[in-house]
Amino acid sequence: MITLQAALTGALIGGLYALMAAGMSVTWGVLRVINLAHFGLILLGGYLTYQLATSWRLDPILTLVVTVPALFVLGGALQWAYDRLRIVEFNSLLVSFGLLIITIQLASDVWSADFRRMSPADNRYATGSLNLGRIAVPTATLVAFVAAVLLVGGGHLLLHRTFTGRGMRAFAQDRTVAAAFGIDHRRLGVLLGGAAGASGAVAGMIFALGNSITPSTPYDWFGTVFAVVILGGIGNLLGTLVAGIGIGVLSGLVSVIWSPSTEPFVLFLAIILALLLRPRGLFARAGVA
Amino acid sequence: MNARRGVAVLVAVTVVFGVLGRASNAIGLPAYDVLLAGTILFWMTQATSWNLLSGFAGYFSFGQGAYIAVGAYTTAVYFGRHGGNVFLAIPIGGLLGGILAAAVGAVAFRLRSLRGEIFALLTLAVPFILAAYARITNWVDGGQGTTIRLPRVPAWMGNFQQMVFLLNLGLAALAIGLALVIYHTRLGHGLAAIHDAEAAAEVLGVPTFRYKMVAIVLGGVLSGLSGAVFALQIGFVAVESLFTLTLPLTAIVISVLGGRRHWLGPVIGALLIVTLQDRLSAGGLENWSAIILGGLLAALVVLAPHGLFGRLRARWWLALAVLVVVTAGMTASGYYDQIDALLYGMLAAVVVTTIADTLRPRKPAAVSRPPDGPLEAAVPQPRSAGTVPDGGTLVSCDGVTRYFGGVKALDDVSFTVGRGEIVGLVGPNGSGKTTLVNLLSGAMQPTRGRIAISGQPIAGLPAHRVAHAGVARTYQLPKPFASMTVRDNVAMAVMFGRTPAPLHAARQAAERHLATVRLSHLADTRPESLNLHQRQLLEMARATAADPTVLLLDEALAGLNPAEIDDAVTVIRRIHATGISIIIVEHLLRVLNQLATRIVVLDRGTLIADGDPMTVLNDPAVVRAYLGRQRA
Repeated sequence: MITLQAALTGALIGGLYALMAAGMSVTWGVLRVINLAHFGLILLGGYLTYQLATSWRLDPILTLVVTVPALFVLGGALQWAYDRLRIVEFNSLLVSFGLLIITIQLASDVWSADFRRMSPADNRYATGSLNLGRIAVPTATLVAFVAAVLLVGGGHLLLHRTFTGRGMRAFAQDRTVAAAFGIDHRRLGVLLGGAAGASGAVAGMIFALGNSITPSTPYDWFGTVFAVVILGGIGNLLGTLVAGIGIGVLSGLVSVIWSPSTEPFVLFLAIILALLLRPRGLFARAGVA
Repeated sequence: MNARRGVAVLVAVTVVFGVLGRASNAIGLPAYDVLLAGTILFWMTQATSWNLLSGFAGYFSFGQGAYIAVGAYTTAVYFGRHGGNVFLAIPIGGLLGGILAAAVGAVAFRLRSLRGEIFALLTLAVPFILAAYARITNWVDGGQGTTIRLPRVPAWMGNFQQMVFLLNLGLAALAIGLALVIYHTRLGHGLAAIHDAEAAAEVLGVPTFRYKMVAIVLGGVLSGLSGAVFALQIGFVAVESLFTLTLPLTAIVISVLGGRRHWLGPVIGALLIVTLQDRLSAGGLENWSAIILGGLLAALVVLAPHGLFGRLRARWWLALAVLVVVTAGMTASGYYDQIDALLYGMLAAVVVTTIADTLRPRKPAAVSRPPDGPLEAAVPQPRSAGTVPDGGTLVSCDGVTRYFGGVKALDDVSFTVGRGEIVGLVGPNGSGKTTLVNLLSGAMQPTRGRIAISGQPIAGLPAHRVAHAGVARTYQLPKPFASMTVRDNVAMAVMFGRTPAPLHAARQAAERHLATVRLSHLADTRPESLNLHQRQLLEMARATAADPTVLLLDEALAGLNPAEIDDAVTVIRRIHATGISIIIVEHLLRVLNQLATRIVVLDRGTLIADGDPMTVLNDPAVVRAYLGRQRA
């Protein structure tokens, strides 16, 4: 029973990992920008949720009305700057690393290095839980999972079913040819960067629902999120979702069966194995290398 | 500066600083200055150790903090908790740092699909995993951290401050000396070639895996040694203070600012960045330090990716003069602290040289015209080809098969190439020609079958060993070493080829190979200023310079105009005349008709014809493969 509970909780938390990874994966896959600053955007999303819920007494989920547009603009602006400065894939890693450090330092200047958590009075999702027989699912986790599945699945549909989405995928495959067919990569890039930022706002809100935040929280996300991005296949949203849930179940089980301390090693091993065996992700179709 | 003089200067400088530091009380140096100097030296060591792999070979690591932490925890556990000898803790820290680096390298560099981004992300994960481990493991940390008491200082090292300074000085001298020597030797040239074009470096004979491992392990050892001293300096070792992103960020910014491709870059960067940080915290602006570093990294990558070193070296007299005048002037005025004056002096030197560089950019080397006159003017010397025990057979493929997943790229291909032949390898797109070239050059392994070069089987050999067995290749899309001159591109191939030579001899030999392809007039330019034809010629010069017995030309004429093709054909004939056998992949049957002594035809992975050009090109099966079935 404990194992089942751990697997289920892991799967639900995995949804959040998938949501965090989705923004990263899409900008990497389509725009060839490895945006470490995405972690900074998620962090900002979390802090803004905390701040709005605490000082304006907004329902945490309603804070999205403010945070989503704000981070959409920020994400889009970031993408615009990357594009304007013609930053290539590898350099984007360095530049966004610098930006991430700046964001973390600014967050620490504004909100201090202390743990910040919404009080139960402001956060009605903090305590409730849904009981299914002997398995309990915290409301916050459930909200996280539902939102993640909706957003990541919706993003996948947008990329595959809409004209703009197809344009983005065409751009990911061959920029020159896509440009020759009249795809405006600047506009698409800004749009996609904005969407990634907005997904970061939701991810930050969800994280803040169930956890405390400090400026160094993004460090805890690195390993898991990159494992999800790489395992899911860079730029593949459905793969990201499945990989997120898989990694969640894996870490849930590992921490129950062995001990929580082995979790990071298992994750790291998962990344290494994935890179060794399936460098293009678990769900890549076989083809000529 | 050559390596020997460099080491001599380094030793002299180290001794002078050592004496000054030891005698700091006697000559009235403030303790604060000694402390700051120790911190600068610590960062010189760290940035230099980072630079060995990440600067020289271009594999950026975000994991520098892990090696520092391993060293620091060695001191914390062995000396701090168990009362071991502190001078033993330092080498143990170096050893553990080296082991960690070897583990990271052994995993990362075995990944077939490893790219710089993936390496960076893997190394980013390493410190966080170690942090998680340290936090929950009681014998390492357990979450409370370890206070490190003052060690007993040997009398000859003076007081504790002086001891830390001297240790940092010694390690910095060791690191810089190592970087200096590496920079000037085969290892350094090999790492630079890996930085510019790794695949090309490997097929020219550079043992890329071993070189990267040596660089990462040396970096790990140096960083671990210096991390062990760092623990003494900070006095309290805890997860939160060691596993931050600021440590790797600082190492990266220092190296990128100073200049990553030269051993002196990190030294200059550390001087500037650490002094700047010190002044910021002295002015109460500590929080700005991370923001400035982060912003500096972003700005440098976009605006000045090559760092300061090149600019400062081009105008070192100007930089030095500005530094001395500003620093001395500000100190003499009496209003400024000495360290402030030094910082402003350095900043002024940077600003002035940058302005000078913008106003009057250094001119790129002039491009001279190719020499007129008949091609035969420079007659290549015939060279001794390797001994051929197998009765004249240089290359033999026996039942070679290669799958990619479920796709059969080559199926049971058997043929031989004898000495003195020029074999044309033709076939429609996707017929497996490039796969065959990749197999012959050792870049890939066959799924089944046997390939031998001069009778020696090459199964399982890394590409650089295949190169030493006598195979050289060119790429359809040329892959020159972008940071080197045309001459040095060729010299690299001589250095790492079958008859290795030191750099100066290799440069002389390179002239001969450049003459063979008629690029002598461009020897001092960089590959970026060459056109496609010239780049193809450079590929050929580089390949012949490796002293092969057989040369694989992969579509070396693609994209050239008719005059250039004729020129290239002449060059190929001349290469052949020096005693090198040639396998040429080509679509232009006209060219093959002129050049080839034999033609091998592939179609959808199988060999469908092998014989003299006239017979093969009139073979109905070949015509069908190329032109499709003729309608009756």
